[in-house]
Amino acid sequence: MSGATMRMKMLASVAAIAALVLAATPSHALDIKKMTLSNGATVLVSEQHQLPMVTVMIEFDAGTRRDPKGKEGLAELTARCLSQGTKELTAPEFDQKTDFMGSSVGVSAGRDYSTAGMTSLKKYQGETMQLLAGILTEPGLRDADIERKRAEQVAEIKAAEEQPGYTAGVEFDKDLFGDAPYGHPGAGSSDSVAKLTNDDVRGYYHDYYKLGSAIIAVAGDVTADEVKASLEKALAGLAGSVAPQDAPSPINVPAGLHVKLIDRNVMQANIIMGSGGVERSNPDFYRLKVMNYILGGGGFSSRLVKVVRSQHGLAYSINSGFEPGKFQGAFTIGLQTKNASSNEAIDLVLQQLREIQEKPVSDAELDGAKKFLIGSFPLGIERQSAIASFMIQVEFYGLGLDYADQYPKLIGSVTKDDVLAVAKKYLHPDSMIVVAVANQAEAKIKTSQTEKAADAPGAQ
Amino acid sequence: MRITIFGNHRRLVLLAALGTLLSLTASPARAGISDAVKAQTLPNGLRVLVLENHKAPLATFNVFYRVGSRNEQFGKTGISHLCEHLMFKGTKKVGPEEFSQIIQQNGGEDNAFTESDFTDYFETMNKDHIDVPITLEADRMANFEPKDFDKEKHVVLEERRMRTEDNPEDALDEMVRAAAYVAHPYHWPVIGWFHDVDGLTLDDAMAYHKIYYSPQNALIVAVGDFDGDQVLKLISEAFAGIKNGPKPPPLTDLEPPQDGTRRVELKHAANLPAFEEAYHVPNIVSPDAYALEIASEILSDGQSSRLYKKLVVEKQMVVDIGAGYDMTSFDPGLFVVSAQMRPGIKAADTQVEVEKELAAMRDAPVGAEELQKAKNLEQAQFVFGQDSVMREAEMLGVYEMLGDYRNVDKYLDGIDKVTAADVQRVAKTYLVATNMTEGVLVPTGVLPHGGGGLSGGELR
Repeated sequence: MSGATMRMKMLASVAAIAALVLAATPSHALDIKKMTLSNGATVLVSEQHQLPMVTVMIEFDAGTRRDPKGKEGLAELTARCLSQGTKELTAPEFDQKTDFMGSSVGVSAGRDYSTAGMTSLKKYQGETMQLLAGILTEPGLRDADIERKRAEQVAEIKAAEEQPGYTAGVEFDKDLFGDAPYGHPGAGSSDSVAKLTNDDVRGYYHDYYKLGSAIIAVAGDVTADEVKASLEKALAGLAGSVAPQDAPSPINVPAGLHVKLIDRNVMQANIIMGSGGVERSNPDFYRLKVMNYILGGGGFSSRLVKVVRSQHGLAYSINSGFEPGKFQGAFTIGLQTKNASSNEAIDLVLQQLREIQEKPVSDAELDGAKKFLIGSFPLGIERQSAIASFMIQVEFYGLGLDYADQYPKLIGSVTKDDVLAVAKKYLHPDSMIVVAVANQAEAKIKTSQTEKAADAPGAQ
Repeated sequence: MRITIFGNHRRLVLLAALGTLLSLTASPARAGISDAVKAQTLPNGLRVLVLENHKAPLATFNVFYRVGSRNEQFGKTGISHLCEHLMFKGTKKVGPEEFSQIIQQNGGEDNAFTESDFTDYFETMNKDHIDVPITLEADRMANFEPKDFDKEKHVVLEERRMRTEDNPEDALDEMVRAAAYVAHPYHWPVIGWFHDVDGLTLDDAMAYHKIYYSPQNALIVAVGDFDGDQVLKLISEAFAGIKNGPKPPPLTDLEPPQDGTRRVELKHAANLPAFEEAYHVPNIVSPDAYALEIASEILSDGQSSRLYKKLVVEKQMVVDIGAGYDMTSFDPGLFVVSAQMRPGIKAADTQVEVEKELAAMRDAPVGAEELQKAKNLEQAQFVFGQDSVMREAEMLGVYEMLGDYRNVDKYLDGIDKVTAADVQRVAKTYLVATNMTEGVLVPTGVLPHGGGGLSGGELR
């Protein structure tokens, strides 16, 4: 605990604080134990004995990037259908059992992988694990359930398309990634999902829910040995592995700002601007993390928030970020502003992108970014669910079990020159995709040419 | 969704934020949470609660002010929330947004939210830096001097455009509450009416702060991996010297009884119809509160709940449906059932089905197993909720503002005592047509008049 004098100095100025505060050491006692099941699955366990509860997550290489062309939304639909009971238990019976214990059991599809998971009180750990294992080894996948979940997914897509931010994101990804694995919305489109067949779902389950290449993460009031034994028994029915997917070609946005304007009856323009980013394995990842914090990822410490929100009052929400994945992700800036401020906000963003490419950041900015990124690390691994998903990421992206200890060094070694270099290399203020969902008559976004295109998505 | 609302100054919807928390109670096997709390009242009236929690190397520091939209006047709605924003805009010692920047440099995250009943400022960070928010919070309680008033007002108006104007469900909720409450300040939205916020002045905010941001009107709750006595001492040193302003005026507004269904209709840019039905209900001071909580569990918690099973699974009429009740509102609140229709489904047809479910609850007692399932869900969620220091602090704070933080430990007993006859009685008493305000969203489509479609081009 620092003393009273230091606290007074902290109030004095930001610069003084930057010099005084010691970098926090985020060595959180996750104490991860790594084991392998006989069918090849990797098991990571972090014993957390403070609360009588258990969280289990199982990663399958079955993310939405695997959706076949024309069958967008299949990974998502399969994940949803898997939670609809087992060969033995109908969906209502399964739900009744789960809810009666106060447990949750389910499967969800992410972009890179899908996750099956459970959370339960310790006393219901065994029974809940049986339910989880049941939907993975012997899922019901009945015709009526698949048809019901398909209709539900179509309806949810139509509901999501009412949200301007969702539509802006879908259109941006389509323009940036095209036909590549990240180019379609995870839920698919209402047209693509409506065409998915019951056998498509069963086939996807059969091809991608292979336990031999899965990662299992357990955080909770368990011992590693006992949990390994129960997983071994419960998941005995699943073996085999999934072959890796080929990486798509690098993203190349041609020179110019490519603007897509979507007309909606809204008071605010939802704007996404961006270009190609990086894959998670790119060694520039940590330099980009620091650069992006200073540019637009660091809330009130970031330039975009200072300029667009605090100084100009143009937005409640503005941020920038890289979305690195197994494959190259996007770099995006997202903001919302009243329609009439659209051009002003876009200009301010472009100015900031150019500035961080032209001039080195200040010592105080660099120092502040590192202190936050390093010091806040434990905040992201507080809850059991956060610990479990952290362990899966560490294993999936090959970060190493000592990642929590390495992270401060990786961030700490970034220099001002590094920040300038990655800003020059990865930001492209002259070659970007810009998507604006707005009332275009009010927004009057400047373009050199406007062409009417096909139907606006979600406009019925 | 790609554009996430970054942390700051969000306004939480009470039901969503506290629903899970309140399901918490001491599990029977565990000693009460409140036993370990150190409580103190400083000579200036400031109430302080400190709880050690050594689960993770983190600490959270919360300052609650007993002020929210409930304390506002006609014509000045939104002043509580605007005041919350201004608390980040500087003091006599600290510059605009410097508060957040200092917290971030210490590896912490900070935020605040305004409710109808209270405003909560909080910082979560590495346990070693808990002194930093203590000093900063004391400073902005004593030395409030916000800069950039007009710019921040514009930010708040952007927030309103985003949350309400361009969000059909929030816009509908606002209309339903305005109809359900005719005299009580729950009539207006927490964020305030657009034109009211637009008309607020810096003088309004300064006067408001003087009355409501006094030590006697505040409550501090700190939870984390620290030495409780040491933290109590730091808090006392920082806050004991702060003087009180005038006493807040008493709240005398009572809501006259409702005799007959009230109906509102909102035409809004959307594709799918939606409805919200709200019933006046008592809060925690009434013994009926626990039975109402169980009723909401039975209606909509989990996939085996009555409304989900009937309307999502069997009839497939809605995208989603939920029933919500918050027993910790300071004055009697609303029991709300809301849903968004699937394409082609009329709100009125779904409402008929909802009414059948409510009638079933009025006409017959719930089964023993169904009642036990609801209680088990509450128990499990109570344990799960303790997996975060922030949630623990919020729960203690809310109970203390309602009278006594120790009542946290009476919650599970209250839930446990609910009988099937109690559930039937509260359904018969409160969930009846004469006590209902119904709002229906009539979608007008998302395209602007005369506009539409997609266009694009090169920007400048």
